[in-house]
Formats: sequence, structure tokens, C-alpha cells
Amino acid sequence: MSTIVSMTGITRRFGAVTALDQVDLQVEAGKIHALVGENGAGKTTLMRILYGGLDADAGVIEVEGQSRHFRNSAEAIASGIGMVSQHYSIIPELTCLQNLMLGAEPGLWIAERDAEARATELATRMGFEFSWRAPAGSLSPAGAQKLEILKLLWRQARIMILDEPTAMLSPADGDALFVSLKQLAAEGDTIILVTHRLPEVLQHCSHVTVLRGGRNVAHAAIGEHETPDAAQLAAWIVGHEVPEVQIEAVAPGKPVLEIRSLRVRGDRGEEAVKGISLRLHEGEVVGLAGVDGNGQRELFQALIGVGTVLEGSVLLDGRDVTRDGPVERLRQGVRLIPEDRHEEGVVEDWSLELNAALGLQRLEPLRSGLWVDVGERRALAGAIAERFRTKHGGLGLPMRSLSGGNQQRFVAARALALKPRVILAFQPTRGLDIEGTLAVYAALRETCRREGVCAIVVSFDLDELLEQCDRVVAINGGALFEPKPGEERDRAAIGRLMVGAA
Amino acid sequence: MNWKLAILIVAALGVVIGALIAIGVAPSDAFLQILKGSVGTPGAIGRTLRETTPLLILGVAVFLGLRGGLFNIGVEGQFLIGACVAASLGLKVPGILGVLLAIVGGAIAGALWAFPAGWIKAYRGGHEVISTIMLNNIAFHLTTGLVAGPLKAPGQQSTTTATLTDSTKLPMLYSAPPLTINIALIFALALVAALALWLKRTVAGYELNAVGANPKAAQFAGVDVRKVTVWTMLASGAIGGLAGSCQVLAYEHRFYEGFSPGYGFDALGVALLAGSSPWGVVPAAGLFGILSTGSSFISAALQIPKGLNGVLIGLIIIVFAAFRYRRSRSNG
Repeated sequence: MSTIVSMTGITRRFGAVTALDQVDLQVEAGKIHALVGENGAGKTTLMRILYGGLDADAGVIEVEGQSRHFRNSAEAIASGIGMVSQHYSIIPELTCLQNLMLGAEPGLWIAERDAEARATELATRMGFEFSWRAPAGSLSPAGAQKLEILKLLWRQARIMILDEPTAMLSPADGDALFVSLKQLAAEGDTIILVTHRLPEVLQHCSHVTVLRGGRNVAHAAIGEHETPDAAQLAAWIVGHEVPEVQIEAVAPGKPVLEIRSLRVRGDRGEEAVKGISLRLHEGEVVGLAGVDGNGQRELFQALIGVGTVLEGSVLLDGRDVTRDGPVERLRQGVRLIPEDRHEEGVVEDWSLELNAALGLQRLEPLRSGLWVDVGERRALAGAIAERFRTKHGGLGLPMRSLSGGNQQRFVAARALALKPRVILAFQPTRGLDIEGTLAVYAALRETCRREGVCAIVVSFDLDELLEQCDRVVAINGGALFEPKPGEERDRAAIGRLMVGAA
Repeated sequence: MNWKLAILIVAALGVVIGALIAIGVAPSDAFLQILKGSVGTPGAIGRTLRETTPLLILGVAVFLGLRGGLFNIGVEGQFLIGACVAASLGLKVPGILGVLLAIVGGAIAGALWAFPAGWIKAYRGGHEVISTIMLNNIAFHLTTGLVAGPLKAPGQQSTTTATLTDSTKLPMLYSAPPLTINIALIFALALVAALALWLKRTVAGYELNAVGANPKAAQFAGVDVRKVTVWTMLASGAIGGLAGSCQVLAYEHRFYEGFSPGYGFDALGVALLAGSSPWGVVPAAGLFGILSTGSSFISAALQIPKGLNGVLIGLIIIVFAAFRYRRSRSNG
């Protein structure tokens, strides 16, 4: 048992904010070590300091017993430390092999055949399979994740930092990834896993370090006696006991949204949604489980009125709205919590007050005739910020002054305002910590129950959906699969539906 | 204000002062003369206000485009086309009806001239900067050709149209020669006020701002981004054309070869300097008017090249752009 990475007393300040306060992290060689904590707990900052993306104000980093200070990630990788971030750095136009080598080519001239042989060797070792000459754009999310890990191995990294590697994977792909990671660990490589998913920590990791508010809260070995359970971990992360979610059953009201054999064309001209039928009732929150890129996006586009519907129809309160445009749908109560809040949900340069009206700008009472009702807008902005306790310094400040989690709170609250009928939520808790996630789902359920609204929630996290939604259906390859009677809450069964293995 | 910016400003001043010393003029003298030549006498004030009017209207045109996410470099061309159409309409139909026709006609012509750029941007993804530069070239040669041929006044040596009759001119609001103020300046200020109100208080203005600030978010908010893009370009072009009409009806009273000394290009600087509020266009246009009139004056008075105006304006824009860039980076 030897400690390979030792960080002691790491402190980092951003202006007046102390992001890391005397944090320690000891990682043993040949282990999978989990690093968990809420948004803003300092996980990412700590990892960036380790691999040279950021300087610490104080503290010592030792790698294999030697004091180290990396000025950039190139120095870190030269010492065998690499990181795969949540946002993959794969260039879709290049081949898998070119992506693998990018920035670490074996010389001025590339002998493709030799490189390919070496790449195949690496992949086989991990139990991966790649067609190296195919463009990387054709990879599935799981394939992209694997390629990122191979990129680190290609660079001879022995300490790998993986940031939420399973966030976009199906349960089966996630499990397969951990088999490979354990294989790596068995061969002596070290993996630091940054994650929000506690089952992963308990099942696959050997140690866990918990950060909260930039400080060490706990460090524990897993699999020995006194192993923490999920509730204990969650309590460490949040700082107090997390109540278990109790979803009170709803008697389904009358149908609100009815999707009838809907077929939708995707951006590349392919048929992305292949005959989906689904009926949502008043008060219902339905989870749509699936691996990214299986038609969720196109289905939502068709529902908000910007998609290309090939066939089928969408009924809202019994009225056919298939031919209505986005403005008309908004008026009828269709609301979207978009996937990427920076790009799609807010205008970051605008004030909170202006952002409050975005998407609602043509609805009464924000509009009176051609004019904007500024007073109503200000009142609404206040109410939206209040709803999930968005932390802000004033409604007149620009959106960019808010943290990501707080922006997400604002966007989610906005979708619940002004009498919605159907709420379409695309990963509404992306980037939110435990408390934020609970608050968003609780509000979603409450709005649905109280106002007779229905909601579809897309998430790549099946556990979250099972825990928070009234029922869960799976989407795979553009088709919808409902679990068999008796298996409605069966994680394994729905997991199989997500990958078409049922 | 940080030290980098301070260095930039000092360097900019250094360039100007150095240039003045190099041609043998005392810098303090030059600046005093600029002020004297632009705001020092009633006549100078009149000239400055006259110079400011087209800069103000064209500045509004560029500003509106910027708010909607379009960099309309084509206002120079829209100005020329608007002026040319206004002059020919005003010559055909004299009197108050002619004035109205010329104003509306110039605006429509400017809008039509801008339309291809907006359409190409919205539906074909072609960048508006490229297409408007091309349209500028075409506008310049087309209007020059027209005024050399079919529109040329009979019996004139130079390439110019005939002059409008007195009844077809925009009247002076205040006239105590040498200080005169044309009603066109009031039009321009009213236009600024209307635009400010429209952007801030109407749903359409809100949506236009959204498209400019984040087109993707605007699309998700139910805004038809392509339609807004085309309409923004049309409106920007219409205001550009209107500037041409006003220039003919208020000041020049005819169209001729070399009609614009580059107002359309100076207007880009005006809009940039204006910042995020339409009201910023007013002082920016005023400053450009003062520099332009003042440097024409000193080039005659102190025998220095008229290019000094261009140097000054260029330096102001560079310093200001650097300042704005720094601010937006520190926010992000």
C-alpha cells in the first residue's frame, strides 16, 4: 500500500472567496478513489490544481513521494497525471486514431499502421474495440468516454482523473466502464473519480473523500467495517440528514398531453423519433430515461414546435397542436427547461429581470398589446428568484453574476411561471447539487399536482428518475418502451429497455 | 481604469502630439483651433450641427443593427442609394408632397438595398459584413453612373443632378446666419428617442435584443430568429436610406458624384462609441461632428493635412474598443 498522490494543506482563494481551505487528499496507488461533494465544494478546483490547470496559494503536492508543482497540464501529463473532463475534447471530424494521437504524435511523420497497432494493443488491454479509421463523430457517448481514457493511456498516464465519467452513459455502459477501470487499477494505475452518483462510489471505489464548502469533511475506506452507507455519504456531502423522498401517488387526472405515433426528422435528415406514443395526465411527472442521443432532443423539438414532424400528432387538452408554431405552443402552456442553460436558457449579459421574461415575453400580463409591462416583469422576476431561493445580488445584475446552479434554479422556476400546462424538462438538475436537485423535483411535482400540469423529464441518470418521478419510460433508438407491469420501479429492467436488451 | 489602459491613452496622445510636432505645429495650438473651428463661433456651431446630422441618423442605423446582432457596414451604400432616390423623386415632384415622397422613397430604397444582406445572413448563413461591403461598392458605382447619365442635370459640366426647388427643401428650424439649424436635426433626435423607447418597452424590441444577445436562447424563447434578422436589416437599411433623404432635402439639395465623404464609415465608429444605450449615439455623433468640422478648419488655418481627423477618430475608436473589450472580459 503506497500513497501515490499526496496533497496536504491545499488552499486556494478567488478574490474574497476561499474555494479550498487546508484540504488534504491522500490517494493510494492502484485504487479507485472517489472525490465527492456539492457544487462549489471545491472538487474541480482541487483537481485542477493537481494536474496543473491552476496554482494553489498554499499547500504541498507530492507525487510518488516527490514534491511537485505543475505549471500546466503538459507538465502534469509528462509526470503521468491526466484528466478527462465532463466536456469531451474529441474532434468529431478527425478519425478515432487521429484523436487518440492529437498533441502526442509519435514523431514528425506518422506511421499510421504502427500507430494503429499500438492503439489496438491499448484498447485490447482495456477490453475496448475501436474502428480506428472511422470518424470520431460516429462514436456513442460511451465510446467517446473510452477514447478519452485511451488518450490518457496513450500518453502513458498512470494517474487518471475522471470527472463524472458515467454522466452520459446507460447503466450497462457505466458498469462496463467500471470493469475496465478496475482492470486498470489491478495493473497498478490509479484513478481519481469525481462523481455525484453515490451508488457508484459504494460499488466500485475503494476510498472516498468528501469535501464541503472547500474543506475536508470525511475520508473513508469502502468495503471494510464502518463503511459508510449512501445516507451517511449524503449527510456528509450536504451537512445534515437528507430526508428520503416520498412521492405521494396521484390519481391520474384527465389527459393533458397526448402524443400519437409521432415520427420526427433529426438535424441530419435521419428519422430520429420513430413512432412514439405517450399520454400524460394532470398531475403527472414522467421520467424519460435513455442514453444521450436516442431521440430525446428531437422529441422535445417536436413538442415545442420547432421540429420537423413527419407523421403523427400532438394533442394538448384534446386539441391538435401539431401544426402550431413555437409562439402558439407557448401561449397554450408548453414550457421548456432547455438542456444548456448558458446557450439556450438565458442571456448572460442581461439582468435577471430581463431574463425573467425570456420565453414568456408574448404572454399576458408581461405584454399589453405591443408593449412590455415593465412593472409586471419586475414582479415576476422577484417571484421566480424567490421560488427556489436563487442566490443573487439584485434583480438588476447581469445573469452571468450567478453561479451555474443558481442560473439553473432561475431557469427551472421560470418554466413553472404563468400557468404552464406541459413542462418539458431536459436534464433540469444538470449541474445541481443534492439540495438543488431535490428542490427542483419537489417544485415540479408540486406544480403538477396543484395546478393540474404534467411534465416530461429527460435525464441520463436513471436512479434520479426512479426516485423522483411518478413513472419512468425508456427511450432507445427513437422508440419508446414502457416497463412491463410489476417492473415499473425495476432499475435493471428499465436499464435493459434503455439499451434495447429487453 | 487600469495601467494598461492608461498606457494606451498616453500612447494614443503621443502619436497625435508627435505627428503635430513633426509637421511643425504646436499641439496645444492645434487642439484650441479644433475647438474654435467647431464650436467657437455661431457659424462653426452651425457647421458642426450640420455635420452631426447624418452621423446621428446613420449611427442610429448601425446601432439598431448591432442590437439585433448584425454589423451593418452597408450604411454607406444605403445612404447613397437613399440620397440618390430622394433627389430624383424631389426633382420630379416638387413641394411638400415631394418632400414626403423623397423621405419615404429614400427609406424604402435603403431598406431594399440592405435586404439581400439580411436575407443571405438569415437563410444562407453568409456573413453580413462581406455582403454589405459588396453592396457598398455596387451602390457607389451605380449612383455615380446614374448621376453621370440619366440623372445628370442638362447643361451642367460636373456630374450632378439639378437642384431642388425651395419648396422641396426641409426648412430651417432656426435661421440667424451664420448660425442655422435644420429641422432634420430634430428628426434625428426624435429618431433616437423613438428607438430608445421601442427597444426598451416593446415586445418586438425585446425580441430583437434577444436575437442580438443570444440567438439560440431567443429561438428557444419562441422568437423566429431568421425573420427578426431580416427585419432588423431592413429597418437598419431604411434608416440608412432616410439619412440620405435628409442629407439631400436639408443640406445638399441635389445628388452628385462623391456625395458622401464617408459618413457611413464614421457612423460605424459612432455606434461603437455609443455603447449599449441608443442615447449614447447623440454625444458620439456630436464628438465626431466636432472633430470633423474642427479638423477641416485647422487644415486650412494651420496648413496641416485634413487626414488628422481620420487619425484622431481612429485613435479614439481603438482606445475605446480596448476599454470595452477589457470590461466584457472581466465580467466573464
